[in-house]
Amino acid sequence: MQCAESLRVQAYFDGEVDALTAAEIERHVEHCGECRALLQDLEKMRTALREGVTYAAAPQALRTQILQALDLEDAALASPAVRTKQRSMPQSKGWRGRSFWTGAFSGIGGAALAATIAFFVVMPSVSPLSNELVSAHVRSLMPAHLIDVVSTDKHTVKPWFAGHADVSPVVSDFESQGYRLIGGRADYIEHQRSAVVVYQHGAHVINVFTWSAGGRLPSNTTRSGYHLAFWQQGDIQYCAVSDTGWDELLGLVRLLHEQG
Amino acid sequence: MDDKRARFEGQVLPHLDAAYRFARWLCRPGDADDVVQDAVLRAFRGFDALRGSDAKAWLLTIVRNCHLTAAKQQQRRGLVPLPEENDAADGHAMIANNDNPESEAILSDQKKVLDRLVASLPEEHRTVLMLREIEEMDYAQIAAVTNVPIGTVMSRLARSRSALKAKWMQEVEGAPRAVR
Repeated sequence: MQCAESLRVQAYFDGEVDALTAAEIERHVEHCGECRALLQDLEKMRTALREGVTYAAAPQALRTQILQALDLEDAALASPAVRTKQRSMPQSKGWRGRSFWTGAFSGIGGAALAATIAFFVVMPSVSPLSNELVSAHVRSLMPAHLIDVVSTDKHTVKPWFAGHADVSPVVSDFESQGYRLIGGRADYIEHQRSAVVVYQHGAHVINVFTWSAGGRLPSNTTRSGYHLAFWQQGDIQYCAVSDTGWDELLGLVRLLHEQG
Repeated sequence: MDDKRARFEGQVLPHLDAAYRFARWLCRPGDADDVVQDAVLRAFRGFDALRGSDAKAWLLTIVRNCHLTAAKQQQRRGLVPLPEENDAADGHAMIANNDNPESEAILSDQKKVLDRLVASLPEEHRTVLMLREIEEMDYAQIAAVTNVPIGTVMSRLARSRSALKAKWMQEVEGAPRAVR
């Protein structure tokens, strides 16, 4: 009764398949009316749920209660000397103001990196920039959109950007570490001509978007199955987007940062 | 310095809203606050064990464990029965806490219907669907949080989506004025 591909179509819709499988499924959907209808239903339902479902934020009272409980917990753990210090810290600063970029490094490792890359961990959970980047990434995976300049040579890719983008990002090939430079592309991100460096890791494409630093960067996030890692080097902001795992994605981030 | 606390607040507390929503999808309406507070404290105590980068999935996993523990305790004491699958069919589990009753009153009908239909899904279907569509977690994260294999996540998602669609169609047929 139900098409045997329906679970794979669902996985495609949820961004859980690699580019090759995606192409296969797109071909299937062209010929299967049932799966086409399924895709439409999935899309409609997603929109309805995201716009329609009432979902709560943690009530302020609960938040306050939890912070107080953490204070008690802290006090119980801390040595007397530290406890004195704690008491003198202004309570009103609250949890938003206190730790700006202290967190979020555990997946990356390396204190030097932690000291220099600014991951901004406190941002609203819905960022238009993240959505823009995921759309650009997905668009790039469509046939003939991925690469404007095909080259595994950084000396070809980097000069190409000079004429086609507003920034000149770090470009390097990390083939021996598993990240093969396959080319570059110009895209339009944050209202400027963004330079996109394209890497291949196994079967996965990693787009590294770059643009001139302007606004605050969102925190690392996952949208529709794609991971987004943000960082800044000098006056250029970077975002690596891929459906590869976090560890693999952050591996490339680390390599790029070492180059910069 | 108070480094652990600062890292915890930077890395874990940004997911407090997600933890609270998740608890509301799991628990009876009155139990969510306790479950979340319990979970955050446990997370803080066990914070050193968080090595990966996925603090959100980690916190939500703890929320679920706290919920299961609390439900078991209540059952043992014989105070409250475990929630039945359709226990939340009146929609309370999904309705936001709202300080302003007027704005609640103008919630559109369609929204209310959707809340009620989602709330009427069995718990294991509802949570998987909400983790995917609202929290935007990937299959691997959902599998970790709900403690089932990825294949089960996929089949639960499919069943949940088709059940919700069927309920919606039924609602639309029953009430011709509803918007589709």
